[in-house]
Amino acid sequence: MAAQATLSLRPCATLAPSRGALPRAHAGFAPASRPAPALSISCPPRRLESLRRALAVESDQQGSVVVSEDQEEKPRSYYFLVANAKFMLDDEEHFQEQLQEKLRLYEERSKEQDFWLVVEPKFLDRFPNITSRLKRPAVALVSTDRNWIRFMKLRLDRVLAEQFDAETLEEALASNPVELKFDEPAKWTAPYPKYQSGWWEAFLPPKFSNGTA
Amino acid sequence: MASAMELSLLNPTVHHHGIAGKAASQLPARRAFSAVRFRVRASAAAPPAAKPGSPKKRGKTEVNESLLTPRFYTTDFDEMEQLFNAEINKQLNQDEFDALLQEFKTDYNQTHFIRNPEFKEAADKMQGPLRQIFVEFLERSCTAEFSGFLLYKELGRRLKKTNPVVAEIFSLMSRDEARHAGFLNKGLSDFNLALDLGFLTKARKYTFFKPKFIFYATYLSEKIGYWRYITIFRHLKANPEYQVYPIFKYFENWCQDENRHGDFFSALLKAQPQFLNDWKAKLWSRFFCLSVYVTMYLNDCQRTAFYEGIGLNTKEFDMHVIIETNRTTARIFPAVPDVENPEFKRKLDRMVDINTKILAIGESTDMPVVKNLKRVPLIAQLVSEIIAAYLMPPIESGSVDFAEFEPKLVY
Repeated sequence: MAAQATLSLRPCATLAPSRGALPRAHAGFAPASRPAPALSISCPPRRLESLRRALAVESDQQGSVVVSEDQEEKPRSYYFLVANAKFMLDDEEHFQEQLQEKLRLYEERSKEQDFWLVVEPKFLDRFPNITSRLKRPAVALVSTDRNWIRFMKLRLDRVLAEQFDAETLEEALASNPVELKFDEPAKWTAPYPKYQSGWWEAFLPPKFSNGTA
Repeated sequence: MASAMELSLLNPTVHHHGIAGKAASQLPARRAFSAVRFRVRASAAAPPAAKPGSPKKRGKTEVNESLLTPRFYTTDFDEMEQLFNAEINKQLNQDEFDALLQEFKTDYNQTHFIRNPEFKEAADKMQGPLRQIFVEFLERSCTAEFSGFLLYKELGRRLKKTNPVVAEIFSLMSRDEARHAGFLNKGLSDFNLALDLGFLTKARKYTFFKPKFIFYATYLSEKIGYWRYITIFRHLKANPEYQVYPIFKYFENWCQDENRHGDFFSALLKAQPQFLNDWKAKLWSRFFCLSVYVTMYLNDCQRTAFYEGIGLNTKEFDMHVIIETNRTTARIFPAVPDVENPEFKRKLDRMVDINTKILAIGESTDMPVVKNLKRVPLIAQLVSEIIAAYLMPPIESGSVDFAEFEPKLVY
């Protein structure tokens, strides 16, 4: 676990600490953008918090997760990868397999979901250096698991990586709704049909109790 | 390692016997001629009508190899230790390896490889040539996975001191490979056969590759393995009438392991930018891609019965796998062949034709000397096709973490 908390000190394009992009500093919760010692201090409260959040989150009948509003949430760090929607949802079919596999595993092990796909996320407004290089509509893969996002950056490669802090899950995953439609591929030579459009709906953020998605 | 580092055309010169590496390279005198010759007996295909209830240990008598059989690999372990010593090599992106370790520890397929009675029933129903070709498929796949197990296991052992994280990832990958090989070997038991893996470990030749080449070769082998398995899985899901043996139902989860293994080699290559960033790296990248694609194409075109048996058109299947693997590989290799250029497929098809003629000579009743004389011009033709394919204008590629075109990229 100690190893997971180490941060690379050399300049690194991927998941580099986003100084300046952080909206605010939090008392008692060290921003993850500081070097290793600060991060390791932040570990114990985060673990407690995830336990508390696990209690606050309950599943409804449809299997989608509803977060109760009256539960107080603490700010935490979110890590994300972003690229245009076509790349994320239409071109990279192995990406869907991976997300399905992870979801299956979480169900088998009764693990609280900590990864989501966010279409046109609002948090992008904080990253002009990203939006200037991004085709729209964009889709982000967001998770609280920094290591997993690092792994996914290695897999997807053609994506931009960053991180931010947010007060609540709802705030972190807020999006500007947009309808996604992809053209049929001009040339489809695979001996199997393409995955069905809309597969990503299972990975969209939970419905929050005030009705926003 | 699903597709077995099928790298035979670029057969390197050093062979070892046994993992301990006792040098005993008895190369056949006419190596060049066996180069393009495939013997079904390579991994000792059994007569289809093996007596039920009498499992046979395979390969006790001989290990008959040709250049197109899956190989066992060994490498320079001392050099590997140097490469992953964080004190010597400051470039190591330990974060990426930590992330990979977590992913491998997750062990997505811990409970996936559990058999059911369907296997035996399906095997019993399979008769005639298809049965034989299935046995061969299981044997080759099992050998390939097992070869990955041996290599990764040894690397896990050897790197423990210099880089415990990288070492543990190797060990976890050998866990996956052992699982895959074991599952395939159990499949063979449905056909009343079993591969004697202990014997294979000792008796087969080990091909030596320098670490750099191990990285290129295993990366490709894992990624092409993923694309082969997922393509078969998705095809059979859409066409269940060809689902002749239940092992294919396991491929979807199975091949995610292969894909992850490939990612690890991608990280290893990134940790050694000298293998990615100069003109030599580009030439080697193209060379390895081409070798792997050509070997697979020639191999599979000799086994069309298998692919047709599960409802696939062999050449279409292979081209799809090659194109997708190449696209994936372009995320890390600094250059890849332009396999989507129609001329590339035309060249592959000509290679198949030449190879068929070479095989026909082997089947003829001519004297050995005459056979060899007849083969010479054909081999020259084959080599010139391969060189021509190699010289086709490549595609500049690479990870966006390194690639020169990155600043211009719109995501």
